[in-house]
Formats: sequence, structure tokens, C-alpha cells
Amino acid sequence: MRDAFTIAVKDATETWRDGRFRSAAGLLILLIIAAVAGGVHNQSEIARQHRDAQRAERDVWLEKGDMNPHAAAHYGAFVFKPVQPLSAIDPGLDPFVGVFVFLEAHKQQLARHRPIEDATPTRRLGQLTPASVALVLLPLLIVSLTFSSFAGEREHGTLRPLMAMGISRRSLLTGKALGAMLPLVAIIVPAVVIGAVFVWTNAPADPEAPVAARAVAMLAVYLAHALIWVGLGLAVSARARTQGTALIVLLALWFLNAFVAPPLAMATAKWIDPSPSAIEFAASIQDEKDSWPTWDARVEDLTTRFLDGEFASTMAPSNVEVTALLESEADETALYNRRFDALFAQYARQAHTFERIGTLAPTLAARSLSMAFAGTDEAHDRQFSAAASAYRTQMLTTLNGELAAYGQFNTFDYTRGRDLWEKVPPFDYEVPSAAWALSSRAWSAIVLAGWLVTVSIAAAWSVVSMKVGP
Amino acid sequence: MIRLLVRHEWHVLTSHAVVQLVVFVFVSALLAATLLGVARDVRERATALVFSTSGEIGRGGRPPSLRADAVANERGSLALLPPAPLGALAIGQSDVYSNYFKITARSLDGLVTGDQIEHPLQVASGQFDVAFVILFLYPLLIFAVSFDLTASERDRGTLRMVLSQPVRLREVVAGRMIVRVVLLLVPALVVPLVAGLIAARVEPSYVERALAWSLAVAVYAAVWHGIALIVNAGGRSAPANALVLAGIWLLLVVVGPSTVNLLIGTWYPMPSRVDAAVQARSATQEASVQGSRELGQFLQDHPTSGNVGQEGMRQFALLQAQRDQRVADRLQSVEAAFNDQLARQQRLTSRLSVLSPTMIAQGVLLDVAGTSTHRFEHFRFEAAAFQREWRAYFEPRVLDAATLTPEEYARAPVFTYQDEGTGAMRGRILAPIATLTVLALLLWWAGFRRYEGYQL
Repeated sequence: MRDAFTIAVKDATETWRDGRFRSAAGLLILLIIAAVAGGVHNQSEIARQHRDAQRAERDVWLEKGDMNPHAAAHYGAFVFKPVQPLSAIDPGLDPFVGVFVFLEAHKQQLARHRPIEDATPTRRLGQLTPASVALVLLPLLIVSLTFSSFAGEREHGTLRPLMAMGISRRSLLTGKALGAMLPLVAIIVPAVVIGAVFVWTNAPADPEAPVAARAVAMLAVYLAHALIWVGLGLAVSARARTQGTALIVLLALWFLNAFVAPPLAMATAKWIDPSPSAIEFAASIQDEKDSWPTWDARVEDLTTRFLDGEFASTMAPSNVEVTALLESEADETALYNRRFDALFAQYARQAHTFERIGTLAPTLAARSLSMAFAGTDEAHDRQFSAAASAYRTQMLTTLNGELAAYGQFNTFDYTRGRDLWEKVPPFDYEVPSAAWALSSRAWSAIVLAGWLVTVSIAAAWSVVSMKVGP
Repeated sequence: MIRLLVRHEWHVLTSHAVVQLVVFVFVSALLAATLLGVARDVRERATALVFSTSGEIGRGGRPPSLRADAVANERGSLALLPPAPLGALAIGQSDVYSNYFKITARSLDGLVTGDQIEHPLQVASGQFDVAFVILFLYPLLIFAVSFDLTASERDRGTLRMVLSQPVRLREVVAGRMIVRVVLLLVPALVVPLVAGLIAARVEPSYVERALAWSLAVAVYAAVWHGIALIVNAGGRSAPANALVLAGIWLLLVVVGPSTVNLLIGTWYPMPSRVDAAVQARSATQEASVQGSRELGQFLQDHPTSGNVGQEGMRQFALLQAQRDQRVADRLQSVEAAFNDQLARQQRLTSRLSVLSPTMIAQGVLLDVAGTSTHRFEHFRFEAAAFQREWRAYFEPRVLDAATLTPEEYARAPVFTYQDEGTGAMRGRILAPIATLTVLALLLWWAGFRRYEGYQL
């Protein structure tokens, strides 16, 4: 163990004395500070906007004066997506999904106004976030620290004398691993402190939001991912014939993980399970609506049913139109629910394939987990959509129910006021717990743990079986 | 002499295992990206054909009711953007913006944009298309074949031997550069353009766009070759060159653009859609409540739609149109202010984003492919013009509560997309291509200058 420690200290000191490492580390810390500060600033700004908007919307809803309950349903309500505190660390899919949903009678829509629509095209090249620093840039630094660990010693002819001193291969591996990780501590510890301070001082919009457990889980994901890269770097360095080869192999792995795997995995998922284009989706809804009876036919049918005694005798004939309205509303809701459920199920299947492909690329698995814990992944977005949809149903039931219960007179001229609007409670979205996030991405968690174990074994085996001479 | 050097270098380089691997990876990536792109393009063209034939969102055919308001507003018309000329090469912004609008005659609806239902994970992950391979992978592979132009030979002492022949170092380096440029540029241009040509129907603008695409790719590559030349001329060892080049790639392709995006997002945030929505809501509140009340009063006076008669329906249509107009007027001022601010911010940010060759080239490639924001803006402009036409045709008939005759229905305007032509595209890409060209020339010139002081 003392040998291992000696090797570690020697390697770490050498790395630390290398000006290139110090400048790279300095740059990385600067980027982390910028990413965290920018992320927290943007997050709190958006969270504040959404909070204010939701409050203003509630006032508008209550103050809209007297009107017919069905007119109120048409008047509709905005629901704004609450912004998660940890989206400052990993905004995930937030810029790519709508920021609010408009809930109204007869129509159901996807969340509107994805921030990416208002950004310049260069935004598509990626944005610096603490998550991208941890999952893309940090591994590259690890590659630069590990690629020469064994290959370099072998090439310089220092590996043989080192082994001749009676150092066990296990101590050598431990020493090299520690030697690569010690300089990283100089980056990771300040980064974690900076991140924690920023996130902590930025009071979350929802005080009950489960931040601490999720933050710790994210940190664990980043550390596990970094360890995987240390293991990979050491394993490749022990097997590679030269430092150059080790560097090229590791750079290729890094590039594949960080840049090729995400789009390729998604392309595969869509190839397996092709989704409709926007217009095909809209047309499928329209086609089904077109096949329904016209309004007049519907009223006529209801009148017949009324005359057949299907409804209570107190209903005046004009109530038939109200009933027709309620029935068509129910049909439309069912149609939209069915279509959107099918679309979301397809999204979920694609995300599932994407996650399965992540088995081959640890960075992909780590990215899925990071987004899940930040509360910015596809599953959380779906959770919000479901809450908004349930709220819409509740709102319409309250309003239309009032209309139906009014009874025997013509009900289109029936107006109600604030007392009824107050019966529709404000929208409150409960953020799922960290455990829920983990269970929704259990596969990725297993994959990440599996990679950690595999690369540890691979590194140990590579060092045990490595050639000492060139 | 240079021809001999080039031929010799070609033999040496192409028999090198790493170089063979690089070319193999490059060609495979280009092929995969092209095939994915062509498959998507073919699918899009088929869909576009279906809907441009039906002319509406739905299977088409005469509507069940020819009531003017039903045809004009409920059924509406479709403005569809045809697939981009070189969409197979760059998906660009087409996974962000919708390629159709539902057109109605109501002033309030304006352009009812369809939801773009691309999986958010796809948009976030980016697309594996030819543009991605060119922008990200190509520079890296240029560095992979050029990090050791002369360093190893100098360290082994064989460069001296070469130079004892009647050749100058500059010629040797030039020969090596030419071979490396050709080795990668040929597949970069040939694979996608030929595959795209075979798969997609040739559009009139294909040749010009293909030429512009090739030119952009060539000057972009020239910039990266130039950077490799300068670094090689610095006289470091081959591994040191590799590390420096990898760092430059990281800085210009990954860190640079993403940092610029972070700064833009923080310092010049786009105006908030959320704020705009709330403002629009309160601005239109009074108008819509008043309008709804008038409509409610009307309905109270006319309890069932069966007994209002033609005159009653005219009144109803007028009330509805008046309410819509009032709301639309209020909405317009809010939206105009928002759009102005958005346009200002976007101009500013596109100026800021000219800090890395990748950002410059991305703009050019998307524009040439026809998947840039410009084409979608042009489409929106055309659709808005069509909406005015549609409204002018139907509004009098809606206000008259008329039922259309089959002839009137057949004469209704139909949207045909007029592309803005390649002239506008040429105008936009000229400056960025010129910038890249000047940059490449400077880099090459400085690289050869630096090689004059190369320590053997």
C-alpha cells in the first residue's frame, strides 16, 4: 500500500507541475463557475417568470367577471411548467419542451413555446451547462491524465525497473489510479462547493421540492461516470502498445460517447418505432372528427332520444343542445386523450430504446440519470403533462357539470361569477421524489453501476496481464 | 517536382493503417448519415405529396357542409412548406419549426401553427446528419491525419535526408498538405451529393445548391487544414502536436460555441414567452369578455340555433367577427413588441456567434440545404399573405351567413409555396464564405511562413 501511495504522489506531483494540466484545470474551473452561475441565473429568472405568470393567471381567471360556465371553459386557463431548481445544473430537455399549456374546451394541445424556437440556430451546437462540463469535458481531462499511465512508462522504459523493484501489479494499479484521481480532486472539490453554494443560495420556487436527495444523486452519477473514465483510461493504457495508440483509442471512445451516441441512439429508436410527422398526427385527429355526425345531426339524434324518454321529463327541448354540447365535448376529450396517449406512449417507447442503447455508452446512461435527477427528462415532462391534463378534466367537469345541473331552463344564457371560478382550484404540481426519478431510470442506474464494475475488472485484468517491455 | 512529391506521399499515406482507418470511419459516417437523411427526405416528400394534393389537414374531398363559416374557419385551408432542396444533408431547424399552418378566415386565429411533435430527446440530442459529420467529425479527422506532417521524420532524422535531394521543405510540406486535403475532401463531397442526387428528385436549384454546399465544405476544411499546418510548423513533437490540435478542436467546436450560447442566454436572454402570454391575456381580457357577453346576450335572445333565421345568423357572425377583431387588435400590439425585441436579440446573437468557424459554417450549410430559420421565416411570410387572401375571399360570405355554391367552393384560393429563390441565399452566404476563405488563406500563408523557420 505504501508503494501505491508513493506512485500516486509521484504521478500527481508530476501532473501538477505540468503547466498544461494547470492551465487546463484552471480553464475547466472557470468554465464550471460560468456554467453554474449562468445556469442558476437563468433557472431563477425562468422560475420567477413562471411563478409570477401563474399568479397573474389565477387573478385573471378569478376576475374575469360573470359569464356562462361553458364560455369560461372556452376562456380557458394557462398552466405554466414549474422550473426545477436543479435544472440549473442540468437543463436537460427543458429548452426543447413547451413552457406552458393552454387548457380549454374542445381542444387539447401540447405544451407551447419551446425556448429552442426563439433561440438562434447556433444554439443547436449545444450550451455549456454544469452537466455538460461533468459529462463531456471532465472525461477528456481524465483521458489526458490516464492515457500515458502505463503506456508512457513502458515507452520510456521505466516500467521494467519499476516492476523490478518488487512492486506488486495491484499496488501499481492502485497507485496509478490514485495518481490520476488526486489532481482531479483539485477540480472536483471546488466545483462541488461552488455548485452547492450557488444552488443552495438560490431559493427554490417550491420549498417542498425534494432538492437535497436529487442533488446528492446527481453528484453520485457524475462521480461514478468520472471513475468509469479513470478505469477505461487505465485499462486502455495498460493494453495499448504506445501512448499514441492509447490516446487515439480513448479520444475515439470519448467522441463516440459524447457526440455520436446521442443522435445515433435516437435515430435508431426512431427507425425501430417511426413516429408520425406533425401534420400526419394532426390529420389523423381531423379525419376522425370528420367522420362524426354534424352538429345538426347530433341535435336531431338527441331530440329523438329525448322523445324516446331517455332523459328526465323536466328537460326542456332547448336543453337538448346543451346535452349535445356536453356529449361532443366528451367525445372530443376522449379522442384527444386517445391520440395524445398513443403519441406519448410512442415517445416513451423511443426513450426506452434510447436508454437501452445507453448500455453501450456509459456517458449516455449517465446523461439519462442526470436529467432524471434534475427533473428535466422526458418522464418528468410527461408527469407534468399528465397533471395538466388531469387539471383540464377537473376544470371542465366543474364548469360543464354546473351547466348540466342548472336544470330545466335554457342554459346558454345562464351566467355565473367568481363563486364558481373559485371552485376550480389553482393548479398545483407535485414534483415526484428522487426515488421515483431513480425508478423511472433504473436501467440506466444498473448500466452505470455495471460499467463501473466492468471497467474496474478490465483495468485490473489489463494490468495483471500487461506486457512490461515494449 | 510537386507532382512527384504528391504521388509519393499518396502512396505512403494510403498504406498507413491509421490513415486507412480514418478514411474508413469518415466514409462510413458519411454513408450512414446520408442514408438516414435520404430515408427521411423520401418519407417527407411522400407526406408532402399526400397533403399538397388534399390541400387541407385531413383526407380532403368536399366538406359535409358548404356553410361559409364551416368551410372558411372550421375546415380551413393548409399552407404546407415543401421539403427542403437539400434536406437530406442537413435536418437543421426542421425538427424545431412546423412545416404547415392551418389557415382560417378568422382574424383572431391568424396563423394556427401545428405542433411540431418531434421527440424532445431527439431535438436535444441533435441529428446524425451529413452536416453533423462535416461540422464535428471532419475537423477531428483532418487533425488525425495531419498532426505528424514532418515531426516524426525530423525526430528520426530522415527529413534531413529527404531535403538533401533537390527539393525544398516548402514543396515537401505542400505535397503532403495537398494529399491530405484531397484524401478527405473527395469523400466529404462525393458521398452525400451523389447519394442525395440518386435518391431525391433533382430540383431546379440542385446544381447551384450542391456547388454552394461543396464550396462551403471546402473552405471550412481549408481552415482546419490551415490550423494543422501552423501547429505542425511550430516544431513540436508529433504527440505534442496531437494534444495541441485536440485542444484547439475542443475549443473551437465544443467549448467555444457552447460558451457563447451560455453567455448569450445569460446576458441577452430572449424575451420571455411566458410574460408575453400573460400580457396578451390581460390585454385581451376586456375585449373578449365584452364580446362574449354580447354573444351570450344574442344567444339569450335566440334560444336555439334552429330559429334564428338567416338575419339572426348574420348578426351572430358580425358579433363574432367584431369580438375577434377587437381581441386581435389588442393582441397585435403585444405581439409586435415581443417580435421586435426577439428580432433584435437574434440579430445581436447571430453577430456574436461568428466566433468559431464551426458556427459560421453551420449557418451556411443550413441555409444552402434549405433548413435554416430563413426558409421557415419566408414560409411564415407567404402563409400570412395567403391567410389575407383566404380571409378576403371568405369574410364577406361568412358575414352574410352564406352557403357556398359548388363553384364558389371550387374557386377558393389555394396555397402554392413560392421559394425565395437562390438569390437571397447567395446574398446571405457570401459574407460567411468569404470570411472563411480569407481565414483559410491567412492560416495557410502564416503556416508556410512559419515553416521557413523550421528547425531540422
